[in-house]
Amino acid sequence: MYIAAKGGEEAIQQSEHLYHLLNGELTIDTVRMIEKSMPYLVDRVMGEGSLYSPELAALAIAQTGGDLYEAVLLLRAYRATQPRLAYAQPIEPGEVLTVRRISAAFKDIPGGQVLGPSLDYSHRLLKLDVLDGTREPQEAFQPAEQPAPPAYPPVAGWLREQGLLAEAKADATQAADIPDVTTENVLFPAPRPHRLQAMARADTGGVLSLGYSIMRGYGLIHPTVNELRLGHAEVTLTHPVTGEKFSAGRVRVSQCEVVSPGGDEKGYAIGFAATLGWNEVKLIAASTLDLDMASQDGDGAKHPAHEEEFVMYHTEPVESSGFCIHFKLPHYVTFASGLDNIRKVIQATYG
Amino acid sequence: MMSQSQLLTTLTHAPADAVKLFADALIPELGDVQVLVNRTGLVMLPYTDSAYGTRFHLGEVLVSESRVRIGQGAEGYAVCLGRDLEQSLAIALIDAAVQAGIATERITTFIDAQAAAQRAADELLLRQVEATRVELETF
Repeated sequence: MYIAAKGGEEAIQQSEHLYHLLNGELTIDTVRMIEKSMPYLVDRVMGEGSLYSPELAALAIAQTGGDLYEAVLLLRAYRATQPRLAYAQPIEPGEVLTVRRISAAFKDIPGGQVLGPSLDYSHRLLKLDVLDGTREPQEAFQPAEQPAPPAYPPVAGWLREQGLLAEAKADATQAADIPDVTTENVLFPAPRPHRLQAMARADTGGVLSLGYSIMRGYGLIHPTVNELRLGHAEVTLTHPVTGEKFSAGRVRVSQCEVVSPGGDEKGYAIGFAATLGWNEVKLIAASTLDLDMASQDGDGAKHPAHEEEFVMYHTEPVESSGFCIHFKLPHYVTFASGLDNIRKVIQATYG
Repeated sequence: MMSQSQLLTTLTHAPADAVKLFADALIPELGDVQVLVNRTGLVMLPYTDSAYGTRFHLGEVLVSESRVRIGQGAEGYAVCLGRDLEQSLAIALIDAAVQAGIATERITTFIDAQAAAQRAADELLLRQVEATRVELETF
C-alpha cells in the first residue's frame, strides 16, 4: 500500500506567520541585546555551532526564539555557505590571555589561581527586587594595583616536571593536515584530533549527561579538575604575500584538564577538553569522558559512556536533535504499513 | 617604523568605526583603488591539547578578508573577525598606503594611539583579574 502526503501549503505558511506573531518582531535591537547581555548563551551556541561569530549566534538565538538546537542548526547551515579561507596558527594554551584559572587538585600552582568572572561562590537566589523596578546597585569594583600575568603555563606541565604525568608528545602537524571531522569520515577508534574536535562542538546537555553518568558511578574514575581556564586567544594568520604573521582578532576560548590516579606509565591519567567560548560544565564533563575513554581504549568498554563511538555519535547536537524531531513529521506510509499488519493479526487472532 | 604584523594586529583589534573613519580620510591620497578581494569566509582555528600535546580543530571563525591595489601599484591586505567588509577594506587600504609610503607619519601616529589604547584596556582587564586572585588554605 502506498499513501502519498501532499497539501497543507496554506496551513504551513500560516503556522510560520503565527510563530513570528507570538514570538514578537525580530529586530536588530533584540540581537544586540542578546549579544551584549547573554554572552554565555552566545558562547554555547557558537561552541556547538562550531562557528565563532557572536553577532550571528545572537541573531540565531533571536530568530529561533531561544530554541538552542534550532539556533545551532542555523549557525551550522550558515557556516556551510562560507568558503574556508585559511588555517590559523595553532593556539598554545600557555599563550592564551587568561582571565580565570583555577585548580581543584592543587591550591598552590605556578602562577597561582585567579577566580576571574564567576558566580561559583554566590548565593543562587533570584533578585526579585528587579521585577519591582529596583535597579541593581552597581558595586564599585576596585582593580588591583598590579596586573595579573597575561598567560600561564598549563598545570599539566607542572605535573610532568614532578614526574606525576607521562610526557606529552610534541605535535608538529601543520594546521591544514590536522584530521577534521567536518571534511572526513569518522572511523573508530578515532584519531585523538577527531575526538577532541567532536567534543569541542558537542551538545552541552549530551556531554553533561554522559559525563555525569561516569562521575556518579558508571565510570571507573573520579575526576579532579587539574586546571580550568577561560581566556581570549589570538587568531593568528599568515599574510599571503609577505608571509608576516598577524592577529585577525581575539576569540573567547576555554579549556579543562582533569586527572585521576592510575596512569599507565606515571602516577596520574589525564583528560582534556576545550571549546570555542566559555562553557565550564561542558568542559569538565567532556574532559572526564576523554579520560574515561582513554582508560578504556582497547580494553573493551563496559558502559556506553566509556565508548568513544557511542559518545561521539550521541553528543552531536545537530544530528541528534534533527533525528529526534524528524519523528514529528508525517510518517503515514511506514505507519500505515505497520497498521495494516496489526489489523491483519487482530483479524486472524480474534476474528 | 612598525612592522606589517604590528600594523595589521593593531588595526584588527581597534574599534571598527575609528579605523573606517581614518581610512576614509586617506582615500583621496591613494589614487585609483582596485578592490581585488572583499569577502567573508572561515578560518579554521587549531588548538593544542595540554594533556597529550595533540593538535586539533577547535572550530571555525567567521572573518572578512580584503585585498586592494592602489594607484602606485602597492597592495594592501587584511583579515578581521566578523562580517564587516568595510572594516577589512579599511584596514587593507591603510596597509596599502603604508606599503606605498603614503601618509606614513599620520598612520604611525594613529596606530600608536590605537596600540596604546589596547595596552591600557588589557592592563585594566588584567588588574581586574588580579583582584580575584585567591589564596586557599587547607585545614
